[in-house]
Amino acid sequence: MIQQVTTTESDQTLDAPIAPADHLVGKSCRRVDGQEKVTGAALYGADLFPNSAELFASVVRSEHAHANIVSIDATQALEVAGILGVYTHADVGGTNIHGLIRRDHPALASKRVRYFGDSIAVVVAKTERAAKLGRDKVAVTYEPLPVIATMEQAIAEGACKLYPEGNVMGDKRIRKGDVERALADSHVVVSDTFFTQTVDHAFLDIEAGTGHWDGQVLTLYVAGQWVHEERRLIALALGLPVEQIRIIQPVTGGAFGGREDISIQIYLGLAALKHQGKTIALRYTRSESMRARHKRHALKIESTFGANADGMLTAAKIVVYSDEGAYASTGIAVMRKAASHATGPYCVPNVEVDVYGVHTNNNPTGAMRGFGACQMAIAYEGMMDRVARALDMDRETFRRKNLIQSGDTVTTGQRIDPVSVGLCLTKAIQKFKDQPYPGSDHLPAHIKRGWGMSAICFGLGYGDGFPDCSRARVELSDSGIATVYTGGVEVGQGLLNAMMQIAGEELGLPFESMRIVAADTELTDESGSSSATRQTYFTGNAVRMAASELREQVLDIAGIKLKVHPHEITLQHGWAYETSNSNNRVRMEKICTEGLTRGYSLKATALFKPRTIVEIPNTGQSPRAFITYLFGAHVSQVLVNIETGEVKVERHIAAHDVGKAVNPQSVEGQIVGGVAQGLGMALMEEVTYRDGRIMNPGLTDYIIPTIKDLPPVEAIIVEHDDPGGPFGAHGVGEPPLIGAVPAILSAIYDATGKAPCELPMSPERTWRLINEVCENDPLSKVF
Amino acid sequence: MPDPTPMEIPTMQVACDVNGESFTRDIPVDMPLLEFLRDVLGLTGTKGACLEGECGSCTVLVDGETINSCLMLAAQVNNRSVTTIEGLAAGTELDVIQDSFVATGAAQCGYCTPGLIMSARALLNDQPDISESELLTALEGNICRCTGYASIIEAVKRAHRESQNA
Repeated sequence: MIQQVTTTESDQTLDAPIAPADHLVGKSCRRVDGQEKVTGAALYGADLFPNSAELFASVVRSEHAHANIVSIDATQALEVAGILGVYTHADVGGTNIHGLIRRDHPALASKRVRYFGDSIAVVVAKTERAAKLGRDKVAVTYEPLPVIATMEQAIAEGACKLYPEGNVMGDKRIRKGDVERALADSHVVVSDTFFTQTVDHAFLDIEAGTGHWDGQVLTLYVAGQWVHEERRLIALALGLPVEQIRIIQPVTGGAFGGREDISIQIYLGLAALKHQGKTIALRYTRSESMRARHKRHALKIESTFGANADGMLTAAKIVVYSDEGAYASTGIAVMRKAASHATGPYCVPNVEVDVYGVHTNNNPTGAMRGFGACQMAIAYEGMMDRVARALDMDRETFRRKNLIQSGDTVTTGQRIDPVSVGLCLTKAIQKFKDQPYPGSDHLPAHIKRGWGMSAICFGLGYGDGFPDCSRARVELSDSGIATVYTGGVEVGQGLLNAMMQIAGEELGLPFESMRIVAADTELTDESGSSSATRQTYFTGNAVRMAASELREQVLDIAGIKLKVHPHEITLQHGWAYETSNSNNRVRMEKICTEGLTRGYSLKATALFKPRTIVEIPNTGQSPRAFITYLFGAHVSQVLVNIETGEVKVERHIAAHDVGKAVNPQSVEGQIVGGVAQGLGMALMEEVTYRDGRIMNPGLTDYIIPTIKDLPPVEAIIVEHDDPGGPFGAHGVGEPPLIGAVPAILSAIYDATGKAPCELPMSPERTWRLINEVCENDPLSKVF
Repeated sequence: MPDPTPMEIPTMQVACDVNGESFTRDIPVDMPLLEFLRDVLGLTGTKGACLEGECGSCTVLVDGETINSCLMLAAQVNNRSVTTIEGLAAGTELDVIQDSFVATGAAQCGYCTPGLIMSARALLNDQPDISESELLTALEGNICRCTGYASIIEAVKRAHRESQNA
């Protein structure tokens, strides 16, 4: 028997059951950018060269860490075949200054250079080879100034001043209770000083991009972390109206905070303005990238913690000196983050924190994954181990006595609810104890095994009253395709999928019906930076709000089509149906067509702008310093070779409360990846300077973890709904790195009986720790 | 003292097979293979990240062997055969390793991905059976800054399983 063939698609499929609810939130949808990344089709900044580059730019950089510029002579450079121009500060039409918080960094130095990477001129040529040849022929005459290589030199009496107001860039403080009295009354008082190192982001995709000026619009294809703010900074520096600049983010190979400061944008813009109608290309080498870019702050943290005989913390007194390098970058925010995270997730009734930012002639220091919070976790977790030992108390018991509970306050006085740090610690330790590592128990005498733990908290977003908001737009097309527009940048973390999944969940659409346009200042609205672990929470909320408004339109239209009240309609897998009768249904494309015909916009925009409250300057106290807090706990197990000082991480467990994992695979990727960067920071990564010059500006000498350095990392996703987050989600980016470093150090302490206080714990430092040899002692003294 | 005029770089002709297609080009003798593939042939899937042979992002196969294309000169591939990431997929059909990298989330920022996939391809071409340590050794020359490697290991194991089942 032949059924009558019907003609419309919706009729054809009417008999088929609607696919089960495809809950996109909580599902590991394949990455939307996966295909182009595995085939090599994805175009990163440098991949735009072969097809579009017409002219090439190169940057002249300082040969001194600190000097006055006497003269810049381009005569010889201009004689090089193929050179079209050499441009200095005098050619820049605007303020020639950039800087995310303070505008203090000259795009092209005019009178003075303050670090080896300072840029002085931009050379434009017909070929890249000619541009580099010309660059080397620009003759700059310097009058050298004393180099401030260390923080000690910077604050020494009579030190050469980098700025008229001196070398102390700023300070932050916390004042809570009476620390002196509490310490005097404490049963134990433990002090130690921690030294964290300068770290490089080492994202693999070296700074590269193109610029083009058509007389009306300056178009820049350059990877950043906040395209709309970068546009403002470029506009100011170059003297162009913001509207005449368009930034389009190419596919981006990692950022980790390293693309927050302006990199090549102004050089490209300047070159493009001087060569109207030509596409200018610029790419760094790895060494230029490392020499030019800001770094993670090296901190000196002097910590004193007191506890009573019951093991309750009584007081913490902490003084931090932060190497800010040559320019402010995001330093002020980093100092604030350090102060507000100084005692982590612990109840400490009396707290005194002083953070001083000190300028040196090292590279500027700024944003890097977990800034400020990460260094402080090394110190407060280190102190937890030390105080526990002083009390002769088990490390876990001591931590548990002092961890904040729901409703308790952190250093800033902010009351946190819910708090899940204890839960994270329980899960991590349970996993560690329930499933022992299969390694051999019979170790040679020179190999010691140990394990350690960490518990951390992290204030999400900018906080401290700083304007923090995200916008999003969601549109439905005639064919039932939903497109999300966001200014947020995808740097590898999985933002595109997260936003598509959130919108798709709200609209009851399958992932295949979702599209996204991101990080193009012409097409998308501002969504703040991809930093501070804020995109899932901020832009995620904006996307959900926009999608939710659109959903109302869809329900209205579906109500007309299905002749039922919108409250009785379910949206599922691209269909709208009457909840009590799924045969009364209509496909999304029919709804869209109907809606557009009836004059519905099928577009919605939303702004998500939760407000934080400024911290009181003298005390650092605020009822809402951060919008929400994230928690995590790690357990790490290491083997230490006490003869060579080598440390091998055997096993690492990381439990993180992410609220709700929008895409569990991406969340796990963030956790394991964060642990890897933490392992690098704990054991091997260090930018070393000699008189301001980086001694290891390449991946040969700047060592980052390989596949053989990583143990099996066990990620535990804790889902404890955040009442303010989209579908309960809040984010994950930074905390995994923050938790990893102190857990590894704690394990080294357990294995060796010696408490590490310097980073990284390279074989040499570990050997010195074990053998109690200070760095300045000649080795011969031991033998 | 006047600076000497920069020496003109002599050129030479290179004939090679890239992803099954023959190319003959005049190139400077000092041109690295990476630059030849990217800037001359426009095959930008192969990435440069350290440019000194440390990170493996530029890994390609020359006569089936993995090499760092930033260190090899284009002149050295004369009359040889090169396979790049663009040569793996058959039309829109992904190579099983490529598919596995997407399936396990092994491509985050994706910049190390082409090099890693080429290293894994060489490994799976050579050995029907691989141990965990052989796998790690084959990939230890490729640095990834995002993933912590777990998803990459999973991807290669999955690809290995699937190609044995095929």
